[in-house]
Amino acid sequence: MSSPEKVSRRRPSASTLAWLALVALTFASLGLGEWFHSASWLPLLVAAVVWIKGSLVARCFIESHRAHPFIARVLRAFIAFAPLALVATAYFGERLARWTAL
Amino acid sequence: MAAEAVLQPGIGVLGNRRIPGNKGIWVGITCELAEFTVMFVIYFVARAHYPEAFHAGAERLSRTAGAVITLLMVTSSYFIACSVAAIRAGDRRRSLLWLAAGFLTALGYPLAKVLEVTWNLAHGIDGGSGIFFTVYYYLTFNHLVHASWGILGMVWVLARSIAGGYSAEDHGGLEALASYWHATDIIWLVIFPFFYVLA
Repeated sequence: MSSPEKVSRRRPSASTLAWLALVALTFASLGLGEWFHSASWLPLLVAAVVWIKGSLVARCFIESHRAHPFIARVLRAFIAFAPLALVATAYFGERLARWTAL
Repeated sequence: MAAEAVLQPGIGVLGNRRIPGNKGIWVGITCELAEFTVMFVIYFVARAHYPEAFHAGAERLSRTAGAVITLLMVTSSYFIACSVAAIRAGDRRRSLLWLAAGFLTALGYPLAKVLEVTWNLAHGIDGGSGIFFTVYYYLTFNHLVHASWGILGMVWVLARSIAGGYSAEDHGGLEALASYWHATDIIWLVIFPFFYVLA
C-alpha cells in the first residue's frame, strides 16, 4: 500500500494541470474559429478563453496570488483589458470607430 | 518592520508580500505590458475602422503557424516553471534539465516565425498587403523582439545554472527570468486569437 506522501507525489502539480488546460484551450480556440467563425457570440467566447488562459499563466506559473498586490493588480488589469476591448469592438465597433476618427 | 522593505537573498520580499524574482524585472515587465497595451489599442482602433479587412485577413494567415507558436510558448513557459519548482526543492540537476528543455522549446518560436513569414511571402502577404497585415506584422514582430530578449536571458540563466549559481535559498535570477518569460507568454496568448482565431 502506498504511503500518503507517495500518493501525493503522483498527483500532477498545479502547473502541469495549467499547461494541459492551456493546450486544450488553444485547440478549442482553433476549433471555435474554424466552425463558428460567423457566429455573433464568437467574440464573447474568445474573450472568455483569452481571460482564462492569461489568468492560468498568472496564477499557476507566476503565482500572482502570492505576489505583491501591485504585481497582482498589473497582471489582472492587463489580462482583463484585451477581452473587454475585444467585446467592445465586436458589439460597439461603429461607435468606437466614430470616437477614434480623426 | 511591516513598513520596511525586507529583501532576502534571491527572493524579493516587500513586508510580508512576495516579489517573484526581483523589483527590477517587474519594472521591466510593467513597461512591457504597458507597451503592448498601447499596441492593442492600435489593433482595436484599426479593427473598429476596418472590420471587413480584419474578417478577411485572418482567413489568409496560417492557423497552423499560430497554433505551433502558441504551443511552443505555453510549453516553454511550463518547463521554466518546473525549473523554478525544482530549484526550490533543492534539486539543481533537475532544475537545469527543465531550464534546458524550456530554452530548446523557446528556440522553436523564432524558427516557426521564420517559416511562417516565408510561407506568408510565398502567398503574397507582406506589410503592404492591407491594414490587417500591417497591424499583424507590427504586433507579432514586436512580440518576437521581446521573446528574443527572453531567450537571451535564458542563455545567461543557463550559464549561471551550469556554474551552480542558484540554490534553494538563492534563485532570484532564475525566478526573474521565469517571470519575464511567463509575462511574454501571456502577451502571446492575447495576440493569438487577434490574428488566427477571429475571422
